[in-house]
Amino acid sequence: MSRRFAALLALLLLGFACHRERKQPETATATATDTVIDDSKPQDGGTLIRRLETDIVTVNPIIQSTISDRYIADYLFTPLVYLDEDLQPIPGLADSWDVSDGGKLYHFELNEKATFSDGTPVRASDVLFTLQKIVDPKSEALQIVGAFEYLDLSRTKVIDDHTIDIAFRQPLAAQLLRFNDVFVLPEHVYAKGNFRQDYNSTAVGSGPYRLVKREPGKEVIVERREDYWGQKPPLKTVVLKYIVDHSTAWAALKRGDIDETRVTSDIFLRERNNPDLTKIIDFKRFYTLSYNFVAWNTRSPHLNDKRVRHALAMCIPIDSVIQDLYHGTARAMTGPFTPDDFAYNPTVPVIRYDLEGAKRLITSAGWLDSDGDGIRDKNGKPLKIEMIIFTGSATTTQFAQMLQAEAKKAGVDIELDQLDSSIGIQRILAGNYEAAYLGFDLDNDPDPFNILHTSQFPPRGQNFAYYSNPEADRLIEQARVEMDKSKRKDLYWRLHEIVADEQPYTWTVQVSSKWGVSRRVRGVEVSRGYGLFRFYPGLLAWWIPRDQRVHDHAPK
Amino acid sequence: MTTYLVRRLFYAVLTFFGITIATFTLIHSVPGDPIAFFIGHAGIHGIPPETLKAIKHEFHFDEPLPKQYLYWLRGAVTFDFGRSIVDRRPVREIIFEKLPNTFQLNIVAFLLAALIGVPIGLWSASRSGRLGERAMAVGFFLLYSLPSFWVALILIQYFAVKLNVLPLFGMQSDDYADLSTLDQILDRTKHLVLPVLTLTYGQLAIFARFSKSALTEVIRQDFITAVRAKGAGSVAVWRHAFRNALIPLITLLGLTIPYLISGSVIVEQIFQWDGIGLLYYNAILARDYPVVMALTVVTAVVTLFAALFADILYAFADPRVRLGEGTQ
Repeated sequence: MSRRFAALLALLLLGFACHRERKQPETATATATDTVIDDSKPQDGGTLIRRLETDIVTVNPIIQSTISDRYIADYLFTPLVYLDEDLQPIPGLADSWDVSDGGKLYHFELNEKATFSDGTPVRASDVLFTLQKIVDPKSEALQIVGAFEYLDLSRTKVIDDHTIDIAFRQPLAAQLLRFNDVFVLPEHVYAKGNFRQDYNSTAVGSGPYRLVKREPGKEVIVERREDYWGQKPPLKTVVLKYIVDHSTAWAALKRGDIDETRVTSDIFLRERNNPDLTKIIDFKRFYTLSYNFVAWNTRSPHLNDKRVRHALAMCIPIDSVIQDLYHGTARAMTGPFTPDDFAYNPTVPVIRYDLEGAKRLITSAGWLDSDGDGIRDKNGKPLKIEMIIFTGSATTTQFAQMLQAEAKKAGVDIELDQLDSSIGIQRILAGNYEAAYLGFDLDNDPDPFNILHTSQFPPRGQNFAYYSNPEADRLIEQARVEMDKSKRKDLYWRLHEIVADEQPYTWTVQVSSKWGVSRRVRGVEVSRGYGLFRFYPGLLAWWIPRDQRVHDHAPK
Repeated sequence: MTTYLVRRLFYAVLTFFGITIATFTLIHSVPGDPIAFFIGHAGIHGIPPETLKAIKHEFHFDEPLPKQYLYWLRGAVTFDFGRSIVDRRPVREIIFEKLPNTFQLNIVAFLLAALIGVPIGLWSASRSGRLGERAMAVGFFLLYSLPSFWVALILIQYFAVKLNVLPLFGMQSDDYADLSTLDQILDRTKHLVLPVLTLTYGQLAIFARFSKSALTEVIRQDFITAVRAKGAGSVAVWRHAFRNALIPLITLLGLTIPYLISGSVIVEQIFQWDGIGLLYYNAILARDYPVVMALTVVTAVVTLFAALFADILYAFADPRVRLGEGTQ
C-alpha cells in the first residue's frame, strides 16, 4: 500500500517539475513596455480571454436568455442597428433608415457588402425571416419577443435584396433602439430543422467573428473572420471561459489566466488601491441600467395610502445605506429613471431619512398605537407588513434589516420573508405579497409602461405594485409614442414627479458595477449604461500589444 | 444465496419506484416552477402568454401530475430522460458529459482517503488510548471540521497564486489536445491535485476514525481474548480481528459509492470542475425537472446497486449472513 502511495506521490512531483518547464509568462512584465506603445494605433492579432459567469445556454441570438449568450452574439452576429457609447442608434447591418407613418413604418437599407460567415450575402429576406422567428411562439424568444409585440408581419415587406419595410400596429418611441437586439440570421441555414433545439451549439452569422468551438461547461472560442465585410476588429481570437466562482475568477485575473472579470464589491474595495495589483489590473467602476427598489403592493390595506408608503421611504437611512452598505459605490434613486437618462428629472429630491416626519405621516394616515404595544394599529388591526427578500445577497438582507429596524421605531412592524428567487417571483406576480425588495435590469429606453401603467398588472405586465393613476397613465401613453425627444422628456419629468410623490415603488439605489481588466488590454472604453459591453465598437475595439500576448500558443 | 439475491433485487425495484415517485412529487410541489424561472430571466418587455403556453405544452406541464409521471417513466425505462428545459439538450447527453468528470475526481479522492485512512485507523486501533493516538484523533476531528470552501481558497491562494505551481481551475490546460498521452495524464493530474486535496482530507478523517472504532470494538470481544489465550501471535490476532471489523467497513464503502457520482457543489464550483454537482445545483435552481429527475434516478440506482453490492459482500465476509437466511 505504501508503495502505491509513493508511486502516486512521485507522479505528483513529476507533475510539479513538468509544470516549471512549461511555465506561463509572468504577468508582472506586462507594464514594462508601457511607454513605447502608441495607444492610438491598435496592433492586429492576439488572443483575449474573457470570463463568463454563467455557462452559455445557446449561441442562437434570437432565443438567448443570459448575458453570457449575449456576449457571444455580439461577436458572431450583427444587429440591424448598433448603439454608440451614449446608447444612440448608429448603423449596424442597416446602413440607413427612416421612420414614417407616424412611427409605424421603418424603412431599412442594408449594407450591401454584408456577408454571413458561410460567404453568402445578407439579404432583406433574412431580416424578414429573423423577425418571423422572433414573434413565433414556438421559438421561445423570451428576451426579445416582448419588444416586438406590435410587429405587423402582414404589412412588413421585402422591397429588394437590400431594402425592407418593417411595419408595426402601433408606434413606439423606443422601437428603433430595439432593433439593436435583431441579430439577423441567414434563412438558408436556420430555416432547416428545429429552430429551438438545433442551433444552440453552431452558428452562422454576419458578425466579425465566427464560432470555432463551444464546449458546454467550459468555454466558447471565436475567431476573427478574415473575410469580414466591415471594420475588422484587432483581436484575432477571443476565448470566453466559464468560471462560476467569483473568488476563482479573481485569482485567475491576478494570475493572468483571464483578462477581464466582474469583481465583487468586497474585492474591489479591498484591492483597488493595492499598488501591486493596480500595476497589472485596471479597476473599472460604472453605473449600468439597473436599480434596486422596494415594491409596495398598493392593494394591501396596510399600503394603500401613499402617506404610509412615503413614510416607509423616509425610514430608509439612504445615506447610511450608500456609505455603510455600498461604501460609496452606489447612488440614490428618486424614481424609475437612472440619473444618466434624459428622462431623469433632477429637480425631484431624494427622500432623506426622517423618522419624525415618517411618524407624523403615518399618524395622519390614521395609524395610531392605541393598545400601546409599540406597533401602530387601525380598527384593531396592527400595521404589520410582510416583506419578501430574495436569498443570495448579503447586502439585500442587510438593507432589509436596516429598514426593518427603522420602521419599528416609527411603529411599523416589518416581517422579512427570505425566499428563493423563483418562488419569490411567483408570489409577487400572483399579487400574493405586501412588499418586496428587488433589483431590476432596464431597457436602453426609459419607457416605464411595463411597471407603472394600469394595463400592465400581472400576469400581463410587471406592474406588481398595482399602481393606477389616470394622469400617470396618460403621460406614459403619450411619451411612448412621442417621437420628439424634448417633448418626451417633458412628459417623463412630470411622470417622475408624480410617482416620486405617490411611491408605488420606493426606488432606493443604483449600485455600480465593478470590473477588473488586465492592463495588457488596450482600447477599453466604458459606455453610458452598458459599461464595457453591448455598444459599438466597445469590445470590438479591444486589442493587446504584440509583446504582451501571453495567451497565444506557439504555432502548431 | 439465490433467494437472498432475488429478494434483495425485488426490494431494489420497489425502492426505485418509491424514489422516483417521491422525487417527482417533491420537485413538482416545490414552490416555483420552470415558467417562473423563465419569467425571471425574460426581457423587461415580458413574455406573451402564447409563448408560455407553448413551453407548458411542450413539457406536458398542462397535464395532470400522474400523467406527467407516466410520460417521464415511459422515457426513463428506455433511458430517455427527455430534454433539459433550459438548454434543450438531451438530458442523457448532458449527464454522460459531466458524469466521467465527477467520477474521475471522486474516485481519486476516495481511493486516497481509503488507502491512507484505513491503515491509519488500524494503526490507531493498536495504539488506542496512547498519547500519539489521542493527538491524532484530535487532529482528525479538526481536519474533519474545516469547511471545504475555506480550505479550497487557502489552497488556491498558496499553490496557484503565490507559488504558481498548480493550475487554478478547470480540468485541463488550453493546449491539452496538443499534448502527448503522458503529458495529458500529467496535465490532468496537476489539475486534480487541489480539488482532490479538498475532497480527501475530510473523508480521510472519517475513514480513519471509522475503521479505528470498528476494529477497537472487535478487539474487545471475547473471541479475541480466546485467540490470545491460545497463544496466537499478533499477526493471527489481527487477522481474526480485521475480518470481523470488515462488516462496518463494507457498510461505509457501500455508502460512499453513490457519493462517487453525486459530486460536490462546492469543490466543483471553486475549481470549475465541470461535473454533476454543479449541474444538479443549477438544475434545481432553474427547476429543470428533467435534469433533476434523471440525476436523482441515476444516483438512486447507483445507491441501490451499492447497497446490493454491500449485501453480497457481507455474505462473503460473514458466513452468518448466509446462514441467517437458511434458518428463516
